Amino acid sequence: MHGSGITREIFWNVKGEGFPVVEPLTYILALTAILFLVRGLIKAGLLDRIKMMMLATGSDVSRFDNIVERLKYALIDVFGHKKILREPYQGIAHLFIFWGFIVLFAGAGLDFLQVDIIEPIFHKHFMQGGLYLGYSIITDLAGILVLIGVIMMLLRRYRNMPKWLDNKPEDMIILWLILAIVITGFLVEGLRMQATELQPGDPMHKYAWASFGGLIFALPFTAMSVGALKATHLFVWWVHLFIVLGFFVYIAYSKLLHIFMTPINIFMRNTTANPAPIKAMPPSMFENAETFGIHKLEEYSWKDLFDTEACMRCGRCVAVCPAFNTDKPLLPRDVIQNLRTHLEAKSKFAIDKDGKARILPDEEYTGPALIGGAIEKDTIWSCTTCMACVEACPAYISQFPKLIDLRRYLAMMESDFPEEVQVVFKGMENNSNPWSIGAHSRADWAKELNVPLMSQKGSAEYLFYVGCAGAFDDLNKKVAVALAKIFNAAGLDYAILGTEEGCCGDSAKKIGNEYVFQTLATTNIGVFDGYNVKKIITMCPHGYNTIKYDYKELGGNYEVYHYTEILDELIKSGKLTLKTPIEGLGTMAYHDSCYLGRYNKVYDQPRNILGALNSGTLVEMASNHEKSFCCGAGGGRMWMEENLGTRINQKRTKEAIDAGVKTICTACPFCYTMLTDGIKELEKGESMQAVDIAQLVAKAAGLE
Amino acid sequence: MNTVVCLKQVPDTETLIKINAEGTGIVTEGVKWVMSPYDEFAVEEALRQKEKAGAGSVTLVSLGPDRVIEAIRTALAMGADTAVHVNDPAFAAKADPYATATVLAAAIKDATYDAIFCGKQAMDDDAGQVASILGELLGLPVVTMVTKLEVSADKKTATVTREVEGGQAIIDVPLPAVLTAQKGLNEPRYASLPGIMKAKKKPVTVKTAADLGVSVEPMTIIKSMTLPPARQAGKKIEGDDSDAKAVALAKALHEEAKLI
Ligand code: SF4
Ligand code: SF4
Repeated sequence: MHGSGITREIFWNVKGEGFPVVEPLTYILALTAILFLVRGLIKAGLLDRIKMMMLATGSDVSRFDNIVERLKYALIDVFGHKKILREPYQGIAHLFIFWGFIVLFAGAGLDFLQVDIIEPIFHKHFMQGGLYLGYSIITDLAGILVLIGVIMMLLRRYRNMPKWLDNKPEDMIILWLILAIVITGFLVEGLRMQATELQPGDPMHKYAWASFGGLIFALPFTAMSVGALKATHLFVWWVHLFIVLGFFVYIAYSKLLHIFMTPINIFMRNTTANPAPIKAMPPSMFENAETFGIHKLEEYSWKDLFDTEACMRCGRCVAVCPAFNTDKPLLPRDVIQNLRTHLEAKSKFAIDKDGKARILPDEEYTGPALIGGAIEKDTIWSCTTCMACVEACPAYISQFPKLIDLRRYLAMMESDFPEEVQVVFKGMENNSNPWSIGAHSRADWAKELNVPLMSQKGSAEYLFYVGCAGAFDDLNKKVAVALAKIFNAAGLDYAILGTEEGCCGDSAKKIGNEYVFQTLATTNIGVFDGYNVKKIITMCPHGYNTIKYDYKELGGNYEVYHYTEILDELIKSGKLTLKTPIEGLGTMAYHDSCYLGRYNKVYDQPRNILGALNSGTLVEMASNHEKSFCCGAGGGRMWMEENLGTRINQKRTKEAIDAGVKTICTACPFCYTMLTDGIKELEKGESMQAVDIAQLVAKAAGLE
Repeated sequence: MNTVVCLKQVPDTETLIKINAEGTGIVTEGVKWVMSPYDEFAVEEALRQKEKAGAGSVTLVSLGPDRVIEAIRTALAMGADTAVHVNDPAFAAKADPYATATVLAAAIKDATYDAIFCGKQAMDDDAGQVASILGELLGLPVVTMVTKLEVSADKKTATVTREVEGGQAIIDVPLPAVLTAQKGLNEPRYASLPGIMKAKKKPVTVKTAADLGVSVEPMTIIKSMTLPPARQAGKKIEGDDSDAKAVALAKALHEEAKLI
């Protein structure tokens, strides 16, 4: 006993007269485990994978700017579990295990510090008294948290497994290993306590409560003799040690590697303004490059490939994916995982006996292809680019943009796309709209409405960029009309381009036809800049996003607003008053458009506007805000048949039905169309309606 | 298999058509021009036949002003190999079907080919004459409205399926022949980006009347051209209940529309 007497002997019972070498042996074992871990990493192919990453030729956004800010963000996210906790159950379970292990690891570190550094060198025993008691309480608490966390996870995986989880042996092994580590740990503690502190007369007796975990685990052993306790303790101690070391080595071979890779990936997260950037294709590429898009692994960027290291198969991206949720063959997690498998398979071809990696010419590679092998075409075309996966991923992986790269290859190199899309491309090329309606009729909706034309006005504070839906689609022309009336009534200084306006190109870009996209975009930029346009209001979130982010890459710099941002402002500032009550709205819910919400964080303005109507009751559907469920039309899916699985728009409409919604409010022409169709298809036309927020505002402002 | 494809550039079906001041043609300014859609089938078929044969070339022939180069480039981007662009103001006002066929025949005359493909008619004037006259001028058989084509291994004959009212006819024809493409023959491809890039460098020979040694006079003259009458606004049938509405409808059909 030392000093105050409140302490415990480290290596009690293990390091005895009989076995004095236990300390060095433990450290040798620990070192061996580290060596095994390193060997495991190499055996499991980490070096080969890194070599493949270094081969990768694809462009990427910057990953190492603002190091301090990145580090800060990563530390907060990792230690604070910011994103992980978005799913409370899994989040808390992970938090318990994560922090529990950190504390236990630190506890072991303190032990090491005590026995092997402080004591031999300074002949001091600091692990005693209040410090020891605190240490004891905290480490026991940590052990119990890990125990709770791991039980929660076991229950989820093997009792209430959601259909989007994929259980593999490693998942089971890891959870049982963790469980075994805590249980043997507590057993060691309990046995020791039963043999020492809990014996009557032991000076530590009255402090035994501080090791409450051990106290519980000591219960089964109260009847044992001290000798038997010691023997059992010794045995369990070694078992515990070996499981811990085994767990450590298993990191190399399993998804446990995410302990290192995921934090690194968080550090390297995308910090550009665009939350889901797709590879930039500088216009000069169209003059020089031989191939466009991606059809082989090495054409991805190193970071694309690194993403596959960081994915621990949590499946959150799958849970939110509208394609998966309507039985289409797309699971974003599997895109990443299959890429990983493909990477491993291809490294066998690309790395020679001497360990040198090189880019294989197509003819020399006989393994499975990237497109059609690792990732099926149906998978590639099923994505709506809703960004739910990117938003949900706790490892900050960029899933769906990797599919757009493949679409680019298919669309531009092979002209291989769903056949319905050809007329869409032609429409965009010949008439600058996907509906293939004569370009001369682009401003027909505005006839007799007194909408100022840029060509007549010369300049205006805002360009009202109507977009193809507002200009050509009968349903959405009504929204354009409503907006024009509102802008006129509010005295906004604005103008439209009329027939000088062109398609924004979003669908072309997301379908993978960057060539057509850039043709459309540069034409628009030319017209915008011709009128010296600075501020743009768009009716469509797709145009909004495209002009805001994608036009910038082509030299178009504008302040872009979605109409809901403008209307919210007009209402708040009193320039627009909503006095006329609207009958029959009933229970209404706002359907977040992906490109407005997740892409641009415009969540509040549409809701503010609906609140200002003073009509109807606003509720939320089960999926809302960041987790809103796509209408099914993004990523060019608007123009494709939905032949696989069930219909996304109907799934979303059913959510509205489940929430008792009568009026679904939209702020996106695609959503408006899809949900109007959803209501029709489900034969709910009598009891439900979809309506665009602009129409409601026009009504409430008495402009109808 | 070597083929020649005749193609025409026409206004996009969606473009705004205005009649010119003389009332004899359309205003060509502000028009979006495209390859005539039936000609796309013709180009596609020529490409497929060449691909099937594993060798050969596809030569485009087109008559028209400078802007026609765009349609030619589009077809080259699809995969055609070379093109002859007959561009001479002398032809401009005279290109009725007979004159056009004469010019095309002169441009094709010295080429080697196993077949000549045309669209079944141009999407703009719908005359549907050029292919037949061309066949006559070149002394070749003509099969119109082709929906399926099988060429024999020796490229000496072809089995052609063509549309007839309510059915189809299968015809054997010796090659070379003039074949006109009907919808259904194939699905024209969308030019790939490498195709578009390559098309910019493919050879296009420009020929004038003098080069071809032809002068033409039109056999037909357009006297006047008018747009179809604008659609009348619909009429809403009013009535208190469905019976009253039915009576009103019957009355309108009888008295106003004079249909019953
Ligand atoms: S963007 Fe949406 S549809 Fe595409 S993979 Fe991600 S979650 Fe699925
Ligand atoms: S990609 Fe991200 S969200 Fe999806 S399974 Fe992997 S880590 Fe989880």
